[in-house]
Amino acid sequence: MSWLKRIFRRKQLYGDLSEEIRAHLDEKVEELVASGMTRKEAEHAAQREFGNVMITEENAREIWRWPRLENFLIDVRYALRVLRKSPGFTIVAILTLALGIGANTAIFTLIDGIMLRTLPVSKPAELYRLGDTHQCCNIGGVQSRWSIFSYPLYRQLREHTPEFSQMAAFAGGLDNFAVRRGGSDAPPQPLVGEFVSGDYFTMLGLRAFAGRLIDSTDDRASALPAAVISYRAWQQDFSGQPSVVGETLVVNTVPFTIAGIAPPGFYGDRMIASPPDLWLPLATEPILDGPNALLNRTDSNWLYVIGRLGRGANPAAVQSQLTVELRNWLSVQIGLGGHDRAKAEKTRIILTPAAAGIDVLQHENASGLFLLAIISAMVLLIACANVATLLLARGAARRAETAVRVALGAPRARLVRQAVTESVLLALAGGLAGLFIAFVVVRVILLLEFRGVGYVPVSAEPSVAVLGFAFLLSLVTGVVFGMAPAWIGSRSEPAEALHGAGRSASDRSSSARGFLVVLQLALSVILLVGAGLLMRSLRNLETQKFGFEPEGRLVAEVNPVTAGYKPGELYGLYQQLTQRLPRIPGVVSASLSAYGPMEDTNFEWPIHVEGREPGERIFSCFDLVSPNFFRTMGTRILLGRDITAEDTPASRPIAVVNEAFVRKYLRGKNPIGKHFGFADVKEGVNYQIVGVVENAKYYYRRDHPMFFLPLLQRVPSGMGFLEYIGDIELRVAGSPEGMEPAVRRALAATNPNLTAIKIVSLPEQIAENFNEERLISRLTGLYGVFALFLACIGLYGVTAYSVRLRTREIGIRVALGAQRGDVFRMVVGGGLKLALIGVAIGIAGALAFTRMLASLLYGLSPGDPATFLGATAVLFGVAIFACYVPARRAMRVDPVTSLRNE
Amino acid sequence: MPKRKEEPRDLFPGALEMMVLEILRRRPLHGYALVQHIRERSDELLRVEEGSLYPALQRLLKEGLVTAEWGVSASGRRVRIYRLTAKGAKHLEREVSKFEQMLEGITRVLAPAKS
Repeated sequence: MSWLKRIFRRKQLYGDLSEEIRAHLDEKVEELVASGMTRKEAEHAAQREFGNVMITEENAREIWRWPRLENFLIDVRYALRVLRKSPGFTIVAILTLALGIGANTAIFTLIDGIMLRTLPVSKPAELYRLGDTHQCCNIGGVQSRWSIFSYPLYRQLREHTPEFSQMAAFAGGLDNFAVRRGGSDAPPQPLVGEFVSGDYFTMLGLRAFAGRLIDSTDDRASALPAAVISYRAWQQDFSGQPSVVGETLVVNTVPFTIAGIAPPGFYGDRMIASPPDLWLPLATEPILDGPNALLNRTDSNWLYVIGRLGRGANPAAVQSQLTVELRNWLSVQIGLGGHDRAKAEKTRIILTPAAAGIDVLQHENASGLFLLAIISAMVLLIACANVATLLLARGAARRAETAVRVALGAPRARLVRQAVTESVLLALAGGLAGLFIAFVVVRVILLLEFRGVGYVPVSAEPSVAVLGFAFLLSLVTGVVFGMAPAWIGSRSEPAEALHGAGRSASDRSSSARGFLVVLQLALSVILLVGAGLLMRSLRNLETQKFGFEPEGRLVAEVNPVTAGYKPGELYGLYQQLTQRLPRIPGVVSASLSAYGPMEDTNFEWPIHVEGREPGERIFSCFDLVSPNFFRTMGTRILLGRDITAEDTPASRPIAVVNEAFVRKYLRGKNPIGKHFGFADVKEGVNYQIVGVVENAKYYYRRDHPMFFLPLLQRVPSGMGFLEYIGDIELRVAGSPEGMEPAVRRALAATNPNLTAIKIVSLPEQIAENFNEERLISRLTGLYGVFALFLACIGLYGVTAYSVRLRTREIGIRVALGAQRGDVFRMVVGGGLKLALIGVAIGIAGALAFTRMLASLLYGLSPGDPATFLGATAVLFGVAIFACYVPARRAMRVDPVTSLRNE
Repeated sequence: MPKRKEEPRDLFPGALEMMVLEILRRRPLHGYALVQHIRERSDELLRVEEGSLYPALQRLLKEGLVTAEWGVSASGRRVRIYRLTAKGAKHLEREVSKFEQMLEGITRVLAPAKS
């Protein structure tokens, strides 16, 4: 590192050089004196023969320098001095840039943390997923692009595709298990778990943090049940005690041995909110699910499959081979109807790279993140334009200084480089502050987006990639907003500038400033329109007609499986619950259901309806509910009767349908007494319609046909899992918050193993449905206000500056008889002209931009005139205000003073 | 840089360095002595502006062709003595042979044509 040494040695080098030259001159003088000169003459002669000492020394020093680097350092030092001299400008510029860069860094943090992240496993690039769609489970249907598999199908594919060195299967849907440590009396805690095949951890190439990970020896019916817990759960729920390895863990009343702890940072095979904390072998599924077990059923598809392709394997060839195997397997499958058989001949498997695992979150967030990236890019553009305007104004003020420097021979490239150095420094400082802003914004985004979720494996802390992004973005930003002002500033004609400094009414940079202000105004209009649309859409969503009453309702998520209930025991449990729950003080009515509204659950099945064509494929959503369900939810019964306690397994099977069902499948005819049933099932049941309820929002945002069956009355064979309730609904007098302990006590009194996974008020449960909409609308609103604020400052700055430049002109006008009102109109008119152009361009831009929002909007069109009108009005109001202050100042210009000043 | 009209023409680039290296090859010297040496050896045909020696010496130092150390001269004054390095010796050899070739070429061109 000799160059490094040289930097430190340089001072000494220079000292040596000066001393040496002095010694040289001394020696010469002495020699000359010895030869008879006077000392004065000798000194003179020595100097003459030596040449210019200062220039010689300078030339000699130059040899040790890197002119490029040192000029750069000089530029930096100069820029720092200039910035320090105008702290107001510096702070405003840095803050503006910090917001712009911070907004973008925040979105990039999410893109990096969600979209660009690969699984923390060994060689993730070798992983391929069989299939490309996302669903938890598919029972009995034929998928057009096979993505979710039954266990027998998985084994078939694994055995016949040797190109995969390993192929693991794991549950598509995660389960909430009730877990209690062996020997503990505490009520069981809910823990998210996942069933995985024995080679799951081997395929991922993971090593246990402690103990061992489960392997194929654990994944046998004969093996003792073993489980792996996550590092996070070990830290949080087991207080990090090393002794838990080998301990007993009671999962849904079944004892498991804790085999080991997964490595820290492993969040499973997919990035989701609330990732699994417990991994159980597939072979234990029948023990836990009892008669409703899925493991050995060929018609129950519930497993995702990922395999590791060995080096040299050709994914395209493997993909077609898998498709052939799948079709062969389906053809020997019995029980496929004619419709399904035709579909099975066309089905295929698409092999997708799975370095990121199952990309559910990526899939769900891609469009939202894209939108936010565009919005934050607009904010940065506005910030750039704003700072560029400031720089232009400052450049114009420093015209005389620049002119002197040009006159003294400063090359233009050097002047530009110096100015750009200054702007890059500003941007880097802004970037540094922006990192902090980004951290806060990401935290807020995560809170908004994942409201009601315990843990998200996305960190707000900037990664190396994020730091690099922020740095590069700052550099680019600095050059972008600094280049034009630097160029315009350097084009100073010395003679012109020094001559009439401050006298001309316009200068070269004024049109550039006008353009930048128009740009800011246009972008603000786009953001304001977007924010307005999203806000109105969110309001529409939140205040829509739900078809039930959210206020004063409480939902408790329960699962009798977790308390070890067998199908035969359910009737007794439900009887107990329907009697005990209404007796909780404050509870007005209570009901049970398979699932409640707007909780992201949906049962949907093909049906046949009496009086319609037999071969027709029609689908309906359905739910299973206890008596009092509609009363508890506040859903109105429009026709016929409610489900009552008399609708028992022994009585005639009945159903209540919604309006959409009647309109779509019964063509609006009187539905009471009509019959329908499930299609594609071995033993169908004919349900008689006894009532009609109003449409209510369950899974779909639009009205959808739906029917309700009495809980436990009768379901088709093979659908026994439908008899397990998932929800308890309570209608309470007063506020639902604070009821939680009483509900938990009532459940524990029924059965100590029965625990609520989550208790939440219905309004909160609804609110969680709109997390993404709320996030995007709030952020767009925030960015829109910020944009408006900046554009307003920009417009104010330009108007105020032009008033200052034209003080003399205004003075002359007033002297010649112009009225104060004329001056006012002139100034405000100039500003509003810019605003008008900005709004016109902005509206055109907004029409294009809002088309992107169309899929996010509920209950209004992307071209909603009221929103456009509102945004335009807000912008004009602010623009008038921004012009008013300088116009007032212009009105007060005193012709005598302004002319004397010259 | 101020120049006097009557001063002899500038040396070609690298000439001063070459001479300095050649002198140092024989024995280590300090700056003033180097100037004296050049003047004496060239019988005052070459007049080097004394100041121009120092940038040349810094260039040689930077490239590692010479080293410099503070010492005491024959007349007992504190001076900086320059010494040729092995790298400097090799460099000198190369430069001299290149120079001789060039000189040979120029001489041939300038020599009256032989019939």
